[in-house]
Amino acid sequence: METRLLILNFDPVFQDRALAMFDAMRKVETRIVRTLAEAVYILMREDFDLFIVEGDAAVAIEQTIHTRQHFPSLKIICLPQDAVNETLVNQASEQNILLITTDCSDRRLRRRLRAAVCAFDRTAGPAAEGIDPCHSLVGNLNEFPAAEVLQMSCLSQRSGRFTFKSGRGNSEIYLHHGLVRHAVYGPVEGEPAIAEVFRWRQGRFYFEEGIISQVQTVTRPWAHLLIDNLQKLDETLQLVSVAGQR
Amino acid sequence: MRDTTLETQLRLLILQTESWKKLHDFITYALDKSKPIISAEQEHQFTEIRSILLQEIGHAFKELDLVAELSGKAMNVLQRASSVRGVRELSGEETRRLESDWNAVFTRVGVVQGQLKARRRELLRRSALRQIFLRIFGRKATVR
Repeated sequence: METRLLILNFDPVFQDRALAMFDAMRKVETRIVRTLAEAVYILMREDFDLFIVEGDAAVAIEQTIHTRQHFPSLKIICLPQDAVNETLVNQASEQNILLITTDCSDRRLRRRLRAAVCAFDRTAGPAAEGIDPCHSLVGNLNEFPAAEVLQMSCLSQRSGRFTFKSGRGNSEIYLHHGLVRHAVYGPVEGEPAIAEVFRWRQGRFYFEEGIISQVQTVTRPWAHLLIDNLQKLDETLQLVSVAGQR
Repeated sequence: MRDTTLETQLRLLILQTESWKKLHDFITYALDKSKPIISAEQEHQFTEIRSILLQEIGHAFKELDLVAELSGKAMNVLQRASSVRGVRELSGEETRRLESDWNAVFTRVGVVQGQLKARRRELLRRSALRQIFLRIFGRKATVR
Protein backbone atom coordinates (compact mmCIF):
# COMPACT_ATOMS: atom_id res chain seq x y z
CA MET A 1 0.00 0.00 0.00
CA GLU A 2 1.29 3.46 -0.90
CA THR A 3 2.02 6.09 1.72
CA ARG A 4 0.09 9.23 0.88
CA LEU A 5 1.80 12.54 1.48
CA LEU A 6 0.12 15.91 1.35
CA ILE A 7 2.77 18.56 0.82
CA LEU A 8 2.22 22.24 1.44
CA ASN A 9 4.71 24.26 -0.54
CA PHE A 10 4.09 27.85 -1.59
CA ASP A 11 6.43 27.60 -4.55
CA PRO A 12 6.59 23.97 -5.66
CA VAL A 13 8.08 24.67 -9.06
CA PHE A 14 11.13 26.65 -8.00
CA GLN A 15 11.65 25.27 -4.47
CA ASP A 16 11.48 21.61 -5.34
CA ARG A 17 14.54 20.03 -3.75
CA ALA A 18 12.62 17.90 -1.26
CA LEU A 19 9.77 17.35 -3.74
CA ALA A 20 12.16 15.74 -6.21
CA MET A 21 13.34 13.41 -3.44
CA PHE A 22 9.79 12.42 -2.54
CA ASP A 23 9.12 11.79 -6.23
CA ALA A 24 11.98 9.32 -6.35
CA MET A 25 10.71 7.31 -3.36
CA ARG A 26 8.98 4.05 -4.02
CA LYS A 27 5.43 3.42 -2.80
CA VAL A 28 4.89 7.07 -2.04
CA GLU A 29 2.08 9.10 -3.53
CA THR A 30 2.29 12.86 -3.23
CA ARG A 31 -0.16 15.66 -3.63
CA ILE A 32 1.05 19.24 -3.58
CA VAL A 33 -0.91 22.27 -2.46
CA ARG A 34 0.11 25.90 -2.29
CA THR A 35 -1.99 27.33 0.51
CA LEU A 36 -2.90 26.25 4.03
CA ALA A 37 -6.61 26.74 3.32
CA GLU A 38 -6.35 24.33 0.41
CA ALA A 39 -4.43 21.83 2.55
CA VAL A 40 -7.01 21.88 5.35
CA TYR A 41 -9.81 21.60 2.79
CA ILE A 42 -8.22 18.45 1.37
CA LEU A 43 -7.35 17.00 4.78
CA MET A 44 -11.01 17.31 5.78
CA ARG A 45 -12.08 15.20 2.81
CA GLU A 46 -9.29 12.76 2.14
CA ASP A 47 -7.01 10.56 4.14
CA PHE A 48 -3.33 11.32 4.03
CA ASP A 49 -0.71 9.52 6.06
CA LEU A 50 1.63 12.45 6.45
CA PHE A 51 1.33 16.18 6.10
CA ILE A 52 4.51 17.96 5.12
CA VAL A 53 5.03 21.71 5.21
CA GLU A 54 7.98 23.19 3.36
CA GLY A 55 8.99 26.84 3.36
CA ASP A 56 10.60 29.65 5.35
CA ALA A 57 11.21 28.45 8.91
CA ALA A 58 8.93 30.86 10.77
CA VAL A 59 6.05 30.60 8.30
CA ALA A 60 6.33 26.81 7.91
CA ILE A 61 6.36 26.18 11.66
CA GLU A 62 3.45 28.56 12.19
CA GLN A 63 1.49 26.71 9.51
CA THR A 64 2.24 23.33 11.07
CA ILE A 65 1.16 24.56 14.50
CA HIS A 66 -2.01 25.98 12.95
CA THR A 67 -2.72 22.64 11.30
CA ARG A 68 -2.11 20.79 14.55
CA GLN A 69 -4.96 22.80 16.18
CA HIS A 70 -7.34 21.38 13.60
CA PHE A 71 -5.92 17.86 13.26
CA PRO A 72 -4.65 16.67 16.64
CA SER A 73 -3.52 13.22 15.56
CA LEU A 74 -2.15 13.96 12.09
CA LYS A 75 1.52 13.13 11.48
CA ILE A 76 3.15 16.42 10.55
CA ILE A 77 6.65 17.05 9.25
CA CYS A 78 8.12 20.52 8.84
CA LEU A 79 10.94 21.18 6.37
CA PRO A 80 12.23 24.69 7.10
CA GLN A 81 14.39 26.12 4.33
CA ASP A 82 16.45 28.37 6.59
CA ALA A 83 17.96 28.26 10.08
CA VAL A 84 15.54 27.54 12.93
CA ASN A 85 15.96 29.23 16.31
CA GLU A 86 15.49 27.43 19.59
CA THR A 87 12.08 28.96 20.34
CA LEU A 88 10.66 27.61 17.10
CA VAL A 89 12.22 24.19 17.73
CA ASN A 90 10.56 24.07 21.15
CA GLN A 91 7.21 25.15 19.74
CA ALA A 92 7.36 22.44 17.10
CA SER A 93 8.38 19.84 19.64
CA GLU A 94 5.51 20.78 21.98
CA GLN A 95 3.06 20.27 19.13
CA ASN A 96 4.52 16.88 18.20
CA ILE A 97 5.83 18.14 14.87
CA LEU A 98 8.88 16.51 13.35
CA LEU A 99 11.42 19.10 12.20
CA ILE A 100 13.83 18.11 9.44
CA THR A 101 16.39 20.74 8.61
CA THR A 102 17.24 21.03 4.94
CA ASP A 103 20.55 22.91 5.18
CA CYS A 104 22.54 19.78 4.42
CA SER A 105 23.79 17.84 1.42
CA ASP A 106 21.29 16.22 -0.96
CA ARG A 107 22.41 12.80 0.12
CA ARG A 108 21.86 13.49 3.80
CA LEU A 109 18.50 15.16 3.20
CA ARG A 110 17.36 12.23 1.06
CA ARG A 111 18.32 9.85 3.85
CA ARG A 112 16.49 11.93 6.47
CA LEU A 113 13.33 12.16 4.39
CA ARG A 114 13.36 8.48 3.60
CA ALA A 115 13.81 7.64 7.27
CA ALA A 116 10.93 9.94 8.23
CA VAL A 117 8.58 8.40 5.67
CA CYS A 118 9.66 4.84 6.50
CA ALA A 119 9.26 5.45 10.23
CA PHE A 120 5.63 6.19 9.65
CA ASP A 121 3.74 3.18 10.79
CA ARG A 122 0.57 2.93 8.76
CA THR A 123 -2.12 1.88 11.18
CA ALA A 124 -5.19 3.04 9.36
CA GLY A 125 -7.05 0.71 7.04
CA PRO A 126 -10.48 0.38 5.59
CA ALA A 127 -13.26 0.46 8.09
CA ALA A 128 -14.00 -3.06 9.28
CA GLU A 129 -17.53 -4.22 8.87
CA GLY A 130 -19.58 -6.68 10.88
CA ILE A 131 -22.29 -6.32 13.45
CA ASP A 132 -21.98 -8.11 16.73
CA PRO A 133 -25.09 -8.94 18.79
CA CYS A 134 -23.58 -7.04 21.72
CA HIS A 135 -23.69 -3.78 19.75
CA SER A 136 -26.73 -1.95 21.05
CA LEU A 137 -26.33 0.89 18.55
CA VAL A 138 -24.78 0.80 15.08
CA GLY A 139 -24.66 3.52 12.44
CA ASN A 140 -22.86 5.49 9.76
CA LEU A 141 -20.91 8.63 10.51
CA ASN A 142 -22.01 10.25 7.25
CA GLU A 143 -25.59 10.08 8.47
CA PHE A 144 -25.02 10.66 12.17
CA PRO A 145 -21.85 12.61 13.02
CA ALA A 146 -20.02 11.64 16.21
CA ALA A 147 -21.12 14.84 17.97
CA GLU A 148 -24.81 13.99 17.53
CA VAL A 149 -24.45 10.37 18.60
CA LEU A 150 -22.41 11.23 21.67
CA GLN A 151 -24.78 14.04 22.61
CA MET A 152 -27.74 11.66 22.45
CA SER A 153 -25.97 9.01 24.53
CA CYS A 154 -24.77 11.49 27.14
CA LEU A 155 -28.23 12.99 27.51
CA SER A 156 -29.68 9.54 28.10
CA GLN A 157 -27.04 8.86 30.82
CA ARG A 158 -25.57 5.84 29.02
CA SER A 159 -22.58 3.80 30.19
CA GLY A 160 -20.56 1.85 27.63
CA ARG A 161 -18.06 1.96 24.84
CA PHE A 162 -18.34 3.66 21.48
CA THR A 163 -16.08 2.32 18.74
CA PHE A 164 -15.61 4.56 15.72
CA LYS A 165 -14.09 2.98 12.63
CA SER A 166 -12.99 4.94 9.60
CA GLY A 167 -10.27 5.01 6.98
CA ARG A 168 -8.21 7.03 9.45
CA GLY A 169 -8.23 4.21 12.00
CA ASN A 170 -10.25 3.20 15.02
CA SER A 171 -11.15 5.21 18.05
CA GLU A 172 -12.86 4.27 21.29
CA ILE A 173 -14.80 6.56 23.58
CA TYR A 174 -16.01 5.30 26.97
CA LEU A 175 -19.03 6.79 28.66
CA HIS A 176 -19.95 6.48 32.30
CA HIS A 177 -23.43 7.65 33.38
CA GLY A 178 -23.57 10.14 30.54
CA LEU A 179 -20.04 11.51 31.03
CA VAL A 180 -17.10 10.87 28.74
CA ARG A 181 -14.54 9.07 30.89
CA HIS A 182 -11.89 7.93 28.48
CA ALA A 183 -11.08 8.37 24.78
CA VAL A 184 -8.35 6.76 22.76
CA TYR A 185 -7.27 7.00 19.13
CA GLY A 186 -4.01 5.23 18.39
CA PRO A 187 -1.39 6.81 20.60
CA VAL A 188 -3.63 9.83 21.27
CA GLU A 189 -5.68 9.80 24.47
CA GLY A 190 -8.18 12.10 26.15
CA GLU A 191 -9.62 15.24 24.62
CA PRO A 192 -7.44 15.26 21.46
CA ALA A 193 -8.86 11.83 20.59
CA ILE A 194 -12.41 13.21 20.91
CA ALA A 195 -11.46 16.21 18.77
CA GLU A 196 -10.22 13.83 16.08
CA VAL A 197 -13.45 11.82 15.96
CA PHE A 198 -15.50 15.01 15.71
CA ARG A 199 -13.95 15.60 12.28
CA TRP A 200 -14.73 12.21 10.82
CA ARG A 201 -17.43 12.30 8.20
CA GLN A 202 -17.10 8.74 6.94
CA GLY A 203 -17.02 5.45 8.74
CA ARG A 204 -19.11 3.45 11.18
CA PHE A 205 -19.78 3.45 14.88
CA TYR A 206 -20.88 0.82 17.37
CA PHE A 207 -22.01 1.17 20.96
CA GLU A 208 -21.61 -1.61 23.50
CA GLU A 209 -23.62 -1.08 26.63
CA GLY A 210 -22.00 -1.65 30.01
CA ILE A 211 -18.28 -1.63 29.11
CA ILE A 212 -16.63 0.73 31.56
CA SER A 213 -13.07 2.02 31.38
CA GLN A 214 -10.89 1.90 34.48
CA VAL A 215 -8.73 4.62 32.98
CA GLN A 216 -9.88 8.21 33.11
CA THR A 217 -8.34 10.60 30.63
CA VAL A 218 -11.24 13.03 30.23
CA THR A 219 -12.42 15.07 33.18
CA ARG A 220 -14.40 17.95 31.69
CA PRO A 221 -18.19 17.73 31.36
CA TRP A 222 -19.60 16.70 28.00
CA ALA A 223 -21.21 20.09 27.38
CA HIS A 224 -17.80 21.81 27.57
CA LEU A 225 -16.22 19.27 25.26
CA LEU A 226 -19.07 19.61 22.79
CA ILE A 227 -18.93 23.41 22.68
CA ASP A 228 -15.12 23.50 22.39
CA ASN A 229 -14.96 20.91 19.66
CA LEU A 230 -17.81 22.35 17.64
CA GLN A 231 -16.14 25.75 17.89
CA LYS A 232 -12.86 24.25 16.62
CA LEU A 233 -14.71 22.52 13.82
CA ASP A 234 -16.35 25.81 12.86
CA GLU A 235 -12.93 27.47 12.77
CA THR A 236 -11.63 24.70 10.52
CA LEU A 237 -14.62 25.02 8.20
CA GLN A 238 -14.17 28.79 8.14
CA LEU A 239 -10.54 28.34 7.15
CA VAL A 240 -11.42 26.02 4.30
CA SER A 241 -14.42 28.00 3.08
CA VAL A 242 -12.21 30.12 0.79
CA ALA A 243 -10.73 27.05 -0.84
CA GLY A 244 -14.10 25.33 -0.97
CA GLN A 245 -15.87 28.18 -2.74
CA ARG A 246 -13.56 27.87 -5.70
CA MET B 1 13.16 2.10 -10.49
CA ARG B 2 11.77 5.58 -10.94
CA ASP B 3 13.06 7.96 -13.55
CA THR B 4 13.65 11.23 -11.70
CA THR B 5 13.38 13.41 -14.81
CA LEU B 6 10.09 11.81 -15.71
CA GLU B 7 8.78 12.25 -12.17
CA THR B 8 9.79 15.93 -12.17
CA GLN B 9 8.08 16.49 -15.51
CA LEU B 10 4.94 14.78 -14.26
CA ARG B 11 4.94 16.90 -11.12
CA LEU B 12 5.26 20.07 -13.21
CA LEU B 13 2.44 18.94 -15.47
CA ILE B 14 0.14 18.12 -12.58
CA LEU B 15 0.77 21.53 -11.05
CA GLN B 16 0.20 23.22 -14.41
CA THR B 17 -3.04 21.31 -14.99
CA GLU B 18 -4.29 22.28 -11.53
CA SER B 19 -3.57 25.95 -12.12
CA TRP B 20 -5.17 25.97 -15.58
CA LYS B 21 -8.25 24.25 -14.15
CA LYS B 22 -8.55 26.86 -11.41
CA LEU B 23 -8.19 29.64 -13.95
CA HIS B 24 -10.92 28.03 -16.02
CA ASP B 25 -13.24 27.88 -12.99
CA PHE B 26 -12.90 31.63 -12.63
CA ILE B 27 -13.37 32.26 -16.35
CA THR B 28 -16.52 30.13 -16.31
CA TYR B 29 -17.78 32.03 -13.27
CA ALA B 30 -17.05 35.36 -14.94
CA LEU B 31 -18.89 34.35 -18.12
CA ASP B 32 -21.93 33.15 -16.21
CA LYS B 33 -24.12 36.23 -16.20
CA SER B 34 -26.52 34.62 -13.74
CA LYS B 35 -23.86 35.08 -11.02
CA PRO B 36 -23.77 38.83 -10.67
CA ILE B 37 -21.44 39.24 -7.71
CA ILE B 38 -17.69 39.36 -8.23
CA SER B 39 -16.06 39.85 -4.84
CA ALA B 40 -12.68 41.36 -4.04
CA GLU B 41 -11.68 37.97 -2.62
CA GLN B 42 -12.41 36.30 -5.96
CA GLU B 43 -10.40 38.92 -7.80
CA HIS B 44 -7.56 38.33 -5.34
CA GLN B 45 -7.61 34.58 -5.91
CA PHE B 46 -7.78 35.09 -9.65
CA THR B 47 -4.74 37.38 -9.55
CA GLU B 48 -2.91 34.77 -7.44
CA ILE B 49 -3.50 32.08 -10.05
CA ARG B 50 -2.49 34.39 -12.88
CA SER B 51 0.66 35.30 -10.99
CA ILE B 52 1.52 31.62 -10.43
CA LEU B 53 0.96 30.79 -14.10
CA LEU B 54 2.91 33.81 -15.34
CA GLN B 55 5.87 32.82 -13.17
CA GLU B 56 5.79 29.14 -13.98
CA ILE B 57 4.79 28.67 -17.61
CA GLY B 58 8.20 29.70 -18.95
CA HIS B 59 10.06 27.22 -16.77
CA ALA B 60 7.49 24.43 -17.01
CA PHE B 61 7.09 24.62 -20.80
CA LYS B 62 10.86 24.74 -21.23
CA GLU B 63 11.27 21.61 -19.10
CA LEU B 64 8.57 19.86 -21.11
CA ASP B 65 9.79 21.14 -24.46
CA LEU B 66 6.47 22.85 -25.15
CA VAL B 67 7.65 26.46 -25.42
CA ALA B 68 7.20 26.84 -29.17
CA GLU B 69 3.85 25.10 -29.16
CA LEU B 70 2.11 26.59 -26.15
CA SER B 71 3.88 29.70 -24.93
CA GLY B 72 2.04 32.08 -27.27
CA LYS B 73 -1.39 30.63 -26.58
CA ALA B 74 -0.83 30.58 -22.82
CA MET B 75 0.26 34.23 -22.85
CA ASN B 76 -2.80 35.15 -24.94
CA VAL B 77 -5.06 33.59 -22.30
CA LEU B 78 -3.29 35.31 -19.43
CA GLN B 79 -3.27 38.68 -21.17
CA ARG B 80 -6.93 38.56 -22.18
CA ALA B 81 -8.03 37.34 -18.77
CA SER B 82 -6.67 40.25 -16.78
CA SER B 83 -9.37 40.06 -14.09
CA VAL B 84 -12.68 38.32 -13.42
CA ARG B 85 -14.51 41.55 -14.21
CA GLY B 86 -12.37 41.98 -17.35
CA VAL B 87 -13.37 38.53 -18.59
CA ARG B 88 -17.04 39.36 -18.07
CA GLU B 89 -16.66 42.48 -20.19
CA LEU B 90 -14.95 40.71 -23.12
CA SER B 91 -16.74 40.75 -26.46
CA GLY B 92 -18.18 37.55 -27.93
CA GLU B 93 -15.28 37.13 -30.36
CA GLU B 94 -12.66 37.70 -27.68
CA THR B 95 -14.39 35.23 -25.37
CA ARG B 96 -14.31 32.60 -28.10
CA ARG B 97 -10.58 33.21 -28.65
CA LEU B 98 -9.92 33.04 -24.94
CA GLU B 99 -11.74 29.74 -24.62
CA SER B 100 -10.12 28.34 -27.73
CA ASP B 101 -6.59 29.24 -26.52
CA TRP B 102 -7.30 27.87 -23.04
CA ASN B 103 -8.58 24.67 -24.59
CA ALA B 104 -5.48 24.32 -26.80
CA VAL B 105 -3.15 24.69 -23.79
CA PHE B 106 -5.18 22.42 -21.54
CA THR B 107 -5.56 19.71 -24.18
CA ARG B 108 -1.85 19.61 -25.00
CA VAL B 109 -0.86 19.59 -21.32
CA GLY B 110 -3.34 16.77 -20.71
CA VAL B 111 -2.06 14.72 -23.64
CA VAL B 112 1.58 15.07 -22.56
CA GLN B 113 0.60 14.14 -19.00
CA GLY B 114 -1.06 10.97 -20.29
CA GLN B 115 1.98 10.08 -22.37
CA LEU B 116 4.30 10.54 -19.40
CA LYS B 117 2.05 8.46 -17.17
CA ALA B 118 2.09 5.67 -19.75
CA ARG B 119 5.89 5.91 -19.92
CA ARG B 120 6.13 5.70 -16.13
CA ARG B 121 3.90 2.66 -16.07
CA GLU B 122 6.02 1.02 -18.72
CA LEU B 123 9.17 1.72 -16.72
CA LEU B 124 7.66 0.32 -13.54
CA ARG B 125 6.55 -2.84 -15.34
CA ARG B 126 9.98 -3.25 -16.86
CA SER B 127 11.58 -2.98 -13.42
CA ALA B 128 9.23 -5.61 -12.01
CA LEU B 129 10.18 -7.99 -14.80
CA ARG B 130 13.82 -7.33 -14.07
CA GLN B 131 13.22 -8.23 -10.43
CA ILE B 132 11.68 -11.56 -11.47
CA PHE B 133 14.72 -12.32 -13.65
CA LEU B 134 16.99 -11.47 -10.75
CA ARG B 135 15.08 -13.80 -8.46
CA ILE B 136 15.15 -16.67 -10.95
CA PHE B 137 18.74 -16.43 -12.11
CA GLY B 138 20.25 -14.82 -9.01
CA ARG B 139 22.32 -12.40 -11.02
CA LYS B 140 21.86 -9.16 -12.87
CA ALA B 141 19.75 -9.43 -15.97
CA THR B 142 19.03 -6.80 -18.53
CA VAL B 143 15.66 -6.65 -20.13
CA ARG B 144 15.26 -4.47 -23.14
